[in-house]
Amino acid sequence: MSHSPDTRPLLTRLFEPARLDSMAPIPKIATYAALFFWTLVVVFPLYWVLVTSLKVEVDVDSGPFYVPFLDFMPKLDAWDFMLLQNNTLGPYLNSIFVSLTSTLLALLIGALASYALVRIRFQVKLAAVLTFVLLVVGVIVAVAAFDAPWQLAVAVAAALFALALSTFVKRFRAAVGNNDIEFWMISNRIMPPIVAVLPIYVMFQHLHMLDTQFALIATYTGVNLPIVVWLTRDFFAGIPLDLEESAEIDGASKFRVFFTIALPLVRSGLAATFMLVLILTWNEFLLALFLTNANAQTMPVLVAAQNTTRGPQWWYMSVLIVIMIAPVIVIAGFLQKHIARGLLVGAVKG
Amino acid sequence: MRVRLDNIHKAFGHVQVVKGLDLEVADGEFLVLLGASGSGKTTALRMIAGLESVTSGRVLIGDRDVTDVLPKYRDVAMVFQSYALYPHMTVFANIAYPLTVRKTPKAEIEAQVKEVARQVQLDTLLDRFPKQLSGGQRQRVALARAMIRRPAAFLMDEPLSNLDAKLRGYMRAELKHMQHQLGITTIYVTHDQIEAMTLAHRVALLEKGVLQQLDTPANIYNRPANLFVAGFIGSPPMNFIDGSLSAGRFTAPDSDFGTLSTITRASVVAGVRPEDGRVTEPHAGKLTGTIYATELMGDHTLVTCRIGGATVTVKADKAFNRQDGAAIGVDFAESAVHLFDKATGERIN
Amino acid sequence: MSASAANAAAASVRETRGEWMDRNSGRIMVLPAVIILLAFAIFPLIISTYLSLSRFALAGGSFKLTFIGLYNFRRLLVGAQQYHFLGTLKPLDTAGWIAFAVFLALVLYWLFRFVVREFSVFGLLGRLISASLACGVVLAALATTVTGGYEGTLLTTCFYVLFGVTLQFALGLGLALLCAQPIRARNWFRVVFFVPLMVTPVGVAYMFRMLADMQKGPFAPLSHALGFSEWSWATQAWSARLMVLIGDTWQWTPFMFIVLLAAVENQPREQLEAARMDGAGAWQIFRDITWPSIAPIGATVVLIRLIEAFKIIDMPNVLTAGGPGLATESLTLHSFIAWRTQDLGGSAAVGYLLLFVSTICCVSFFNYVVRWTRRYQ
Ligand SMILES: Nc1ncnc2c1ncn2[C@@H]1O[C@H](COP(=O)(O)OP(=O)(O)O)[C@@H](O)[C@H]1O
Ligand SMILES: [Mg+2]
Repeated sequence: MSHSPDTRPLLTRLFEPARLDSMAPIPKIATYAALFFWTLVVVFPLYWVLVTSLKVEVDVDSGPFYVPFLDFMPKLDAWDFMLLQNNTLGPYLNSIFVSLTSTLLALLIGALASYALVRIRFQVKLAAVLTFVLLVVGVIVAVAAFDAPWQLAVAVAAALFALALSTFVKRFRAAVGNNDIEFWMISNRIMPPIVAVLPIYVMFQHLHMLDTQFALIATYTGVNLPIVVWLTRDFFAGIPLDLEESAEIDGASKFRVFFTIALPLVRSGLAATFMLVLILTWNEFLLALFLTNANAQTMPVLVAAQNTTRGPQWWYMSVLIVIMIAPVIVIAGFLQKHIARGLLVGAVKG
Repeated sequence: MRVRLDNIHKAFGHVQVVKGLDLEVADGEFLVLLGASGSGKTTALRMIAGLESVTSGRVLIGDRDVTDVLPKYRDVAMVFQSYALYPHMTVFANIAYPLTVRKTPKAEIEAQVKEVARQVQLDTLLDRFPKQLSGGQRQRVALARAMIRRPAAFLMDEPLSNLDAKLRGYMRAELKHMQHQLGITTIYVTHDQIEAMTLAHRVALLEKGVLQQLDTPANIYNRPANLFVAGFIGSPPMNFIDGSLSAGRFTAPDSDFGTLSTITRASVVAGVRPEDGRVTEPHAGKLTGTIYATELMGDHTLVTCRIGGATVTVKADKAFNRQDGAAIGVDFAESAVHLFDKATGERIN
Repeated sequence: MSASAANAAAASVRETRGEWMDRNSGRIMVLPAVIILLAFAIFPLIISTYLSLSRFALAGGSFKLTFIGLYNFRRLLVGAQQYHFLGTLKPLDTAGWIAFAVFLALVLYWLFRFVVREFSVFGLLGRLISASLACGVVLAALATTVTGGYEGTLLTTCFYVLFGVTLQFALGLGLALLCAQPIRARNWFRVVFFVPLMVTPVGVAYMFRMLADMQKGPFAPLSHALGFSEWSWATQAWSARLMVLIGDTWQWTPFMFIVLLAAVENQPREQLEAARMDGAGAWQIFRDITWPSIAPIGATVVLIRLIEAFKIIDMPNVLTAGGPGLATESLTLHSFIAWRTQDLGGSAAVGYLLLFVSTICCVSFFNYVVRWTRRYQ
C-alpha cells in the first residue's frame, strides 16, 4: 500500500490522480473531451440558427454555407423584414406581457397557497367537497343536456351548497387535511392541457374573451400554479418557525409575516421557480394556439405558423428563434446564481 | 506510528490559515490539538488526513513522506464531527465498509466487525440503520469504523461535540481507555480545554495557525509558555496585572510583592491563577483592593476584586460573605506567580 | 343613538373585520389558488368528461351534443379508431408470446413479492392497476413492433416518454458528474449547457429540421460523401421518431443537468471524505455515496419530466406533422388532430386516455420509485 507518487505503476499513474486537487491524465482528457463535445452539441445548432438568420434565400438554397464573410456575405434582410415589415413586434410584446404577468401572478398566488398549506392547519369536511363536486357535475349536466340557463343552474347550486353546509355536512367527521389539499393542487399538473383546453376555449368564448391577453394570462396562471406550489412548499417548510413566530408575537398579521419575513427568506427558491415557470409560459404553444388568433398571438404560435406552402423560410424563422431566446438568456443570466440552489431545495423533498 | 509535520503552511487564496506548523507525535501517543474556533485545527488535521493539500511543508507518517499521497494510501482513519455515517447502510455495513472496499473475505469481515462492535458495545445494534441510533451510538459506530482498520493513526475532529454533557463525559473516558488499549497514535482536535486536559498525553495549543505550546497537560497548566496560553487554559482564567519588575520585585498600582525571579524589566505582566490566591483582611496580603462582585459556585465562591486598574478573581470559601465594595486583601505564594514579558508575551520565570 | 356610541360601534366593526381577516388568513391565502384551479382544471375536466361521452355535431350556426356513453372510448380501444390509438395489431407469433409470458412472469413475481412482504389492500389494488397498464402496453408493443404492424399514438407517446426521459436523465447525470470534477471553466459549461432549455420547443423542432436537411443542411456534405443524400429521415417511422427524440433530448437534458449538478455538488462532504479515507475508489464512491445521496433528487426530477413528457406535441407537430403516416404522432397531437376534424368527442376521449395513462405512470413512479429512494431520509 505504500506507493510513493513517483514510483506508481504506469496504469495507476494514468488513471489515478497524483494529488488531491488534480486529475489523472486519462480521466482529465476524457472529461474535457466529453464536455467539449456536448458544448458543440449545444452550441452548433444555435450557431446555425444565428448564421441562417443572416442569409437570404439564395444563400440557403445553394448552401450549406458555414462562416459569414468567408462562405457568404451576411445580410440583414431577414432581420429587416421580420422586425420592420412583418408584424412580429405585436406577438413579441404579447409574449413578454403575457408570460411576465402570468408568471408573477402564478408565483404570488401559488406562494400564498403553499405558505398557508405549510404553516396553517386546514380541515375541510370531505362531505362538503363531495357535495361541491356533485353540484358542479349537476350544473354542467343541467346546462349541457337539458339546456337550462346557466345563471339559474349556478344560483340553484349555490343555494343548495349553502344549505348543505349548514345542515348535514356538519355531521360527518371525515375531513381532508393540508397534505390532501396540497396533493390535489400539485396533481393538477398531471392533467394534459389538451384535456382542459376545449372547455377553457368554450368558457372564454362565452365570456367573449377569446383572443385576449387576459384569457391567456388567466389560463397560464392556472396551468402553472401546481408547479409553483410544488416547488415553493419546501422553501417555506425550510424556514425556521421561530422567525415567523417571533414576528407574530410582535404583532404582525399572517399576511405581513408572509410578505416581510417568509418571502424574502426564500428568494433563491422563488427566483428558480420564476425562471422555470417563465420558460414554460414563454415557450408554451398548444394553449396559445387554441386561445389566440390575431390579437393576442404569442411568439411560439407565430414561429409555428412560418410553415408556409413553400416550406419554411429558414432565414425568417431563424430571426424569430434568435429574438425569442435572447430575453430569456438575459433574465437567466441575472438569476443564474439562484437557480441551481433554488431548484435543488425544491427537488430534494419533492 | 509516528506522525510528523514539518513547517506546514496552508493558505486559502490570500488567507493564511496555518503558518509554519511543526509537530511531532510519538508512536502510540494521544495528542490533542487545542485552540479557539477558527484557529486552524481542522485544517491541520485534514492536511494530515490528505483531505486538504498543503501549501508548503511536509507531512510524514512513520518514515514515509505522504505530503502528496492520496488519503486512501495514507493508512489513517478519521472520525468526523458529523460522524459521516452512510445513511443507507446498516451499522454492520458501515463498520465493515473500509474492509469491503479492500475486498477482504466475507468471513474475515464478519469476525472483525463482531470483534470491534463488541469493544464499543454495538453488538446488538448491527442490523440498524444510522437514523435509528442515538447520538452516542452513532458516535460509537464512527469510532468502530475507524478502529476496524487498525490504522497507523487515528484522526478525530471534535468527535464529542455533538453529544450532551453527560454522554460526553462518559465517552471521553471510553475514548481514553480505548486508545490506551489499542495503542494507536491519535490526533484529536477540540476547542474544549477540559477534553484536552483529560485526554491528552500532550496538548498542542494553536492560535491563528501558529503553535503556541506543545507540552503535557500538567506543564501547559503549570508553566504556560506565554500570555496567550496562560489566558486560554484554566477556568476562570488566570488574573493578569501589568507592572514592572526590579530585581525580582513586582510593582504596580496598589500592588508590590516579591517573586522567585531576580530579573529587572520595565514592562511585565504578572499572572496568578484564581485557585492559587486567597482572600485576607485588607493590607494583610500581597494585594489590596475592593470587592467588585461575588459569585457562589456551589463548593466555593468566586470573589472578583478591583486592585489598582486590574481585576483579580480569587477562589474563596463557600461561606465567604462580604458586601460588594468592602475593602479586601489578596494573598498567594511567591511560587504561584507567573511572569511574562509584556511586549513579546513570552514567559520569563 | 349618540355620535360617540356610533363611533365606538364603527370602531368595533373595524376591529372585528381585522380580526376576521386574521382568523381566516389561511383560507384567504389558499382561496385564490383554489378558485383558479377549479376554473382551469376541475371545471374543464368535468366538461371534458361530458364531451368524451358525447357526439359533437355542428348544426347550423350552433352545435349539438348527444350523449353516447362510452362509445368514443370503445372506438379507440377496440373499434374503428384502434389503429390510430393502439396501432394496427397483428396476431403474435410464438416468439411474441414467449416474450409476453416472460414479462408477465416478472410482473407476477413483483406482485407476489409485495403480497408476501408488505401486503395492504390499497397497495395491491394500485399495483394491480399499474401492472395491467404495463401488460397492456407491452402486449400492444409486441403486437405491432414485433409482428410488423403499425404502432399507434399510445405506443409512440410511451416511446418518447420512456426513452426520452431515460436518455435525458443519463446524459444529465453524466454531464453533472463531469462538471463536478475539479476542472476549469466549470461555470462556463454550466451556463452553456443550460441554454437549450430556453429555446421554445417549436423553435427546437424547426432548428432540427434545418440541421437534418440532407440537401441544404450543414451536414449535407457529409451525407453526400456517405452516399445517402437522397435518403430522408422523415420517410421512415423509426428515424422520424428518433429525430423527435433527439430534439426533445436536446431541449430537456439541461433541466436534468442543472438539478443533478446541484445535487452532486451538495452531497454530504464528510461522507465523501470518510469514504475516500476508507479507501474507496472513484466507482465505489459513486456507487456507495454519490448515487444514494442524489437518488431522491434524481427520482423527483424524473417525475417532473415524466409528467411533462406525456404532454409532448410541439416537437412532432412541427418536425414531422405526425408523419410518416402516424409514426410520430403523440397522444396530444392525436387529440389535437381529432379536434381539427370536428370530432370533439373523440378528441376528448383521447385526452382522457392520455390523462389515465400519464396519471397511472406518474403515481406509480412516485409510489414505487420516488418513495423508495427516500426511505433513508
Ligand atoms: N475551504 C476553505 N476556504 C477558505 N477558508 C477556509 C476554508 N476552510 C477553512 N477556512 C478558514 O480557515 C480558518 C481555520 O479554519 P478551521 O481549520 O476550520 O478552524 P477550526 O477547526 O480551528 O475551527 C477559518 O478562518 C476558516 O474560515
Ligand atoms: Mg473545526
